[in-house]
Amino acid sequence: MTDSLFSKGVTEALNFSAVEHLCIGEPDWLRERREHAWALYEQTPMPTTKLEEWRYTDLRKKLQLDTLSLSQATVVPDNPTAWPKPLRKAMKEDRQASGHIVVIDGHVVHSDLEAELIAKGVILSSLHDAIEQHPNLVGNCLATEAVPPEEGKFAALNAALWSDGVFLYVPAEVQLNTPIRVTRWLSEAGVAQFGRVLILAENASRISYVDEILSDDFSEQTFASNAVEIIAKERAQVQYVSVQRLGRGAFYQSVQRTLAHGDATLDTLNVALGASVSRVDLNARLLGEGANSDMLGLYFGDEDQHFDFNTSQDHVSPHTASDLLYKGALDASSRAVFRGIIRVKPTAQRTNAYQTNRNLLLSGNARADSLPNLEIEADDVKCSHGATVGELDPDAKFYLMSRGLSRIQAERLVVLGFLGEVLSKLPLGGVVEKVTRVIEEKLSQH
Amino acid sequence: MSSWVRAAAVADCDVGTLKGVMVEGTPVVLANIEGDIFALQDECSHEEYPLSDGELDGEDLVCIYHGARFECATGRNKSLPAIRPVKSFAVQIQDDEIYIDLS
Amino acid sequence: MPRNETVQDLQLDEYKYDFVTDAEPVYRARKGLSEEVVREISAYKEEPEWMLNSRLKALQVYESKPMPTWGGNLSELDAVLDEIYFYVRPQDRMEHSWEDVPEEIKDTFEKLGIPEAERKVLAGVGAQYESEMVYHSLREEWEKQGVIFDSIEDGLKNHPDLFREYFGTVIPTQDNKFAAMNAAVWSGGSFVYIPPGVHLDTPLQAYFRVNQERMGQFERTLIICDEGASAHYIEGCTAPVYSTESFHSGVIEIVVKKNARFRYTTIQNWSNNMYNLVTQRALVHEGANMEWLDGNLGSKLTMKYPSCYLVGEGAHGEILSVAYSGDGQHQDTGGKVIHAAPHTTSSIISKSISKGHGRSTYRGLCKVHEGAHHARSNVECDALLINNTSRTDTYPYIEIEENDANVGHEASVSKIGEEQLFYLTSRGISEEEAMAMIVRGFIEPIAKELPLEYAVELNRLIELEMEGSVG
Repeated sequence: MTDSLFSKGVTEALNFSAVEHLCIGEPDWLRERREHAWALYEQTPMPTTKLEEWRYTDLRKKLQLDTLSLSQATVVPDNPTAWPKPLRKAMKEDRQASGHIVVIDGHVVHSDLEAELIAKGVILSSLHDAIEQHPNLVGNCLATEAVPPEEGKFAALNAALWSDGVFLYVPAEVQLNTPIRVTRWLSEAGVAQFGRVLILAENASRISYVDEILSDDFSEQTFASNAVEIIAKERAQVQYVSVQRLGRGAFYQSVQRTLAHGDATLDTLNVALGASVSRVDLNARLLGEGANSDMLGLYFGDEDQHFDFNTSQDHVSPHTASDLLYKGALDASSRAVFRGIIRVKPTAQRTNAYQTNRNLLLSGNARADSLPNLEIEADDVKCSHGATVGELDPDAKFYLMSRGLSRIQAERLVVLGFLGEVLSKLPLGGVVEKVTRVIEEKLSQH
Repeated sequence: MSSWVRAAAVADCDVGTLKGVMVEGTPVVLANIEGDIFALQDECSHEEYPLSDGELDGEDLVCIYHGARFECATGRNKSLPAIRPVKSFAVQIQDDEIYIDLS
Repeated sequence: MPRNETVQDLQLDEYKYDFVTDAEPVYRARKGLSEEVVREISAYKEEPEWMLNSRLKALQVYESKPMPTWGGNLSELDAVLDEIYFYVRPQDRMEHSWEDVPEEIKDTFEKLGIPEAERKVLAGVGAQYESEMVYHSLREEWEKQGVIFDSIEDGLKNHPDLFREYFGTVIPTQDNKFAAMNAAVWSGGSFVYIPPGVHLDTPLQAYFRVNQERMGQFERTLIICDEGASAHYIEGCTAPVYSTESFHSGVIEIVVKKNARFRYTTIQNWSNNMYNLVTQRALVHEGANMEWLDGNLGSKLTMKYPSCYLVGEGAHGEILSVAYSGDGQHQDTGGKVIHAAPHTTSSIISKSISKGHGRSTYRGLCKVHEGAHHARSNVECDALLINNTSRTDTYPYIEIEENDANVGHEASVSKIGEEQLFYLTSRGISEEEAMAMIVRGFIEPIAKELPLEYAVELNRLIELEMEGSVG
């Protein structure tokens, strides 16, 4: 499928003919969705800093969409020896997994899943294969309920131009003991890549999904767009982890929405370490009574990296809970924006919703903006938020130095301790070590 | 070290008006107060809007967006919401041309 | 615990300032805002030409700025403003002796509880009725020390240089749409100057009363607290309840010089048909201390965010805010602190209570500019919801450009604790009284900072509001 898609060839610019090219060989419903999405994209003005949600990320300065072309990469064979070294290294670091997907330059080049799980009806495949083999399952959920193109300019662009993605389906009662690991590599500079993820967890199923996107540094601006749709049906337990380790020159943009039905648990962790600009829009919807979402985030900025997180916690049913913790350290002239909102509708009595954002500024030129918002329309709730921006805790540092550590060692330990709190809340094998290692690398340049 | 660069012709900046020009990549606003020309960075120290959209009030330039007031001769901030001065450049007139010192 | 879902709207019945005085104004400008009205105001005040020009310029700025799309619902405001009287002149001159104030107007202020006796504990009293200050007095001992406490008009007349040096430098005309409107049509308000080193040990107090229907009040206050001086200024506002909307848009500029201390207290209890859109800002110099104590209990919609620009090393700013929103009310309030110098500190404490269909919004900014090292700021917002129909929002902005700074923000939303209620009722306290006690405890940190008569007033209000809130 991926081969045939590529062989069609695509035009260079991000335009309607690119959409038409992508539609070749696709079912009519998909063509309609892409064309509709493209129309919406064209109708929607590019967000400016006048919009509250883009107040601190000036796209006029940060993104030149018209200079980008669609990826023209050839499909790499399904053979690890043909894959880039950093990708293989990243995969080697992962511990045990129930299945793998490898995506190189927008094409799914490899996928595997334990035979036992296949037998139980679990589906892990490229989106294109899934559309062919499970059209109804995918058709109902793809860019409809979770991240429709109406969501915004970037959601529309992605829905029109996505090249491939991952589909994961877990039938009712099926529980995976180890994570699904997806590794995505980008090699082309100056292009735009559009990927999607659709995860559907049926009643009382259980999965962990770890997505890692990485690349070398780019000589020209490169745009990596991602749309993530996760649906957890009743009593399902889903963990979604995204580790972004793109090189400099990358503009990473990810729209994520999680839908948690009754008594479902839907936890997310967004780790942002790479890219020049990283923008994540995460909306958690607590749809069913008793639904629960833990939302974790971790970022470490150096040089002139710019991170922007825009999160929302929507409580619409009673007895729902959400707990958000985003922590970041910022060195050199890096900058982070956190804008989060908890919305509790009148129908969501007995909700507990919390939101915490903590920033550590390691340099005089670093900058942090934090906007934790609340909109509460039910009275029987427990809601709070907190935000702090501050320097390294001097007491902790001096304590460690009094124990014989150098100033630099002490500082590193304090930073790792500060960020480690996030990882300790979702201690997935492989992820903690990997993220810690990358932070240590970054800290060694402090 | 000074580096004098031509910014505009005197005729381009009438008495009592402001003119925004780009001088070697630096946005500059020229102010003509009763025949004396002053040059400031064309970016308000409050929210970076162009000062050349504003207007002159006596010896001051007033930003049109939120009313920050700067002394044309020095760039000194004279009212909130500005809390910082804007950069001012030395000006020379030669043969009806305005030169400013960008250094 | 049983809860009364049909909360009675007691507010209208209980709003004790709902009375109208039958006092004929000596002049009333035609409805709506126009150049003609602006020129008339300026002419009546016999202003210098620069002030007329400044007003006319401000009218242009007002017209060029779009209506804000954030905050409260302003969608009907343009229509309301077309029907508003922007200038109503209650009498032809301002009195300095209470006896000389016309009987009907004096009556009004007596009814509001501002009798002569009360003035004895104050350093100075001003009273504004409709568009003009009708009375202003300052105790002789302070006058002798060079304190100026005048109507803003007399400030311009009698101290033109001081006035012009500061007017519009803290809140320029272009700052926002309503600051521009005020700059065009301002009338009334106080001009205050505290000379260096003078400590006023009792407050200056100003009362603002709107009497007429469809009235717009636009007071302008300019306060300069010179080096090492200290003072406390209190303003209170009330109006009768009409079926049509009224409008109030004040601009308060305060300069707190080196090592000076100033406190500005507002107890806003406008009637529930009042749009109250106010800009209050203080410029706080080295080692100086500014406190805003902001109580918003009345009005239909209030949008008001007192701010402190901490521009001198070691400056301190404090904002204490309490808001009550009942049926049909939206209090969109908060505070801003801008740290622009090293070792500056600030604190914002906000408490809101929303009842019935009321909505309370906290909106605030804490900004630390690069170079403001060792800045410290702490913000705490607590919201109490009395009913499941009320709503609360919290929108803090935290912008930090300096690593050597510590900034914290905490907010929580809760309803009255059932355990607390149960504890109190099990001890024979009625549920209404128990709720009032809990609410009083909730706002205690702010109430205790109020002058006694206002604290009593606040407590009384809470008791009234809690009546009928439980079944």
